[in-house]
Amino acid sequence: MAKLLDKQRYKCALGAMQTVQAIERALPVLHSGPGCAQKLSDTTGSSGYFSPNIFPCTSINEKDVVFGGVKKLHSTIDNALKVIDADLYVVLTGCIPEIVGDDSGEVVSEFQEADKPVIYAPTAGFKGNNYKGHEQVVDAIIEQYLKKSEVKQKGLVNIWADVPYQDLFWLGNIRELEKLIAEIGLIPNTIFGFRRGIENINKIPEAEFNLLVSPWVGIGNMKKMEKKLGIPYLHYPVLPIGATETSKFLREIGKFAGIDADKVESVIKEHEDYYYYLIERYADLFLENRVINKQFTVVADAQYTLGITKFLVNDLGLIPAKQFIVDDTPKNFREQITEEFKKLNYGITAEVSFETDGYKIHEAIKQHDYHGYPLVLGGYYEKEVTEALKGNFLNISWPVQDKVVLDDFYVGYTGGIRLIEDIYTVAVQRFN
Amino acid sequence: MAYKVAVGSSNGEMVDLKFGEASKFMIYEVDGEQFKLHEMRQVLTNPVSKEGLDSIACSKNECGKNGCAGNGRGCNGASDVVEKVTLIEDCRCVVCQKVGFQAQKQLERKAISVFDVTCLVSEALSKIAYYYNKLDRHESLRKK
Repeated sequence: MAKLLDKQRYKCALGAMQTVQAIERALPVLHSGPGCAQKLSDTTGSSGYFSPNIFPCTSINEKDVVFGGVKKLHSTIDNALKVIDADLYVVLTGCIPEIVGDDSGEVVSEFQEADKPVIYAPTAGFKGNNYKGHEQVVDAIIEQYLKKSEVKQKGLVNIWADVPYQDLFWLGNIRELEKLIAEIGLIPNTIFGFRRGIENINKIPEAEFNLLVSPWVGIGNMKKMEKKLGIPYLHYPVLPIGATETSKFLREIGKFAGIDADKVESVIKEHEDYYYYLIERYADLFLENRVINKQFTVVADAQYTLGITKFLVNDLGLIPAKQFIVDDTPKNFREQITEEFKKLNYGITAEVSFETDGYKIHEAIKQHDYHGYPLVLGGYYEKEVTEALKGNFLNISWPVQDKVVLDDFYVGYTGGIRLIEDIYTVAVQRFN
Repeated sequence: MAYKVAVGSSNGEMVDLKFGEASKFMIYEVDGEQFKLHEMRQVLTNPVSKEGLDSIACSKNECGKNGCAGNGRGCNGASDVVEKVTLIEDCRCVVCQKVGFQAQKQLERKAISVFDVTCLVSEALSKIAYYYNKLDRHESLRKK
């Protein structure tokens, strides 16, 4: 029997239009029904030079289902090239054209001679969610646009992290990762956000290695680049939040890139000194155990559930209750991610559940004994259940209704401090 | 269940008539994926019956007055459109080279699908029959 999914935390693969939108001056051209872009867009920073309301779209209807929509796709791309000034045109297919069998790849290949690059990513909803769609877009760039480079730039590193827009803190996070990488003497290259765009895409093949900071999203892309462009990759599965993880992160990259250990250690020391200076100043707040909850639960995608669990255990000394990963992680990555939850300080391990059904998650939260009020970091869906349990709630994952984030971030040393601020801002309000 | 399809074709070979210019429609009967010519329907030149107009929310007399933004022709547009739509209202869809905006809206009101294509009549009918057959059997259109 068909099942209903309660409170799903992701969108269809066509949601990858937001990945395209995150690349400056890249334009999604949608081969889909009218309304897809409208439904898939969040109002979390998606307006601007291009916004979902103006994405060119074939707006296919019943006629195109019966007779095929390739002609419409051709004219839509053709006219988009004429009237919209972009650097990269990414054709994304929705479910209808893929079901009825439109050969969109063939249509796109007719634009090989166009002045601007036109590429195509199959992002039909039935193929997976927007995490998968994000990978498809990056794959399309690798396969259809990038060429192997003979010249390598010393120290250049491509940084890849989780899915723009789906990850509320995507912009701030990637900028902070860039900053950290630069401090240990490497040259970061990313393609998302302000002043990156096509020029940075062009630099990808010249990199010495790819750095992927994500539990599972993008591993396929790394393998593809290794094969096609000959770029080795370092897969770092934990989003480093706070001092413990960030120092580990920098050491591992330093080792991989062959950077002098003393240099890495001096960067780490500088950051840790300031980090612990702040922690010390607020130690009275942290040690006042009436303020904060004893146990916590994170309900988020793999990167935040893992990253925040590590941070709260290792840096703040909290005890994990059950953790939930809601991004429908592919089965072949689950064991490896579960293992990461066992590598916590003080011999602590966390139980993690890969669960996409919000109802089951909420039931589990209600049934767990948190030894007091729970601390729940999750999507907006968790607000109500946490309030019913008189717990503390922080909205850190999609869907987001409770927080406005322009370029805030949780990654790195500073990110850890930001997360502490956010958690304790919620916690102290209880006593107002 | 068998259903009817109205086709705008001058010779039965090609879909070559626009909805507006068609003086007759070829009515095909489709059953499953089989189709055969059922009849020819001539478009009558008589003005639309009084009954037809009464069913319209905004009558011609009121159109364009009292704050109505209409063009004076009533909500149904030109009367020949109404006449043609009424003529084929027992059909599930209409296949013509082109169908104007007004006519499309009137056809939509009667839940008649519009396929504006230029191709062989047989090709159009076999594609439409395939589509509706799948739809009626609740089968996926996904190509294997």
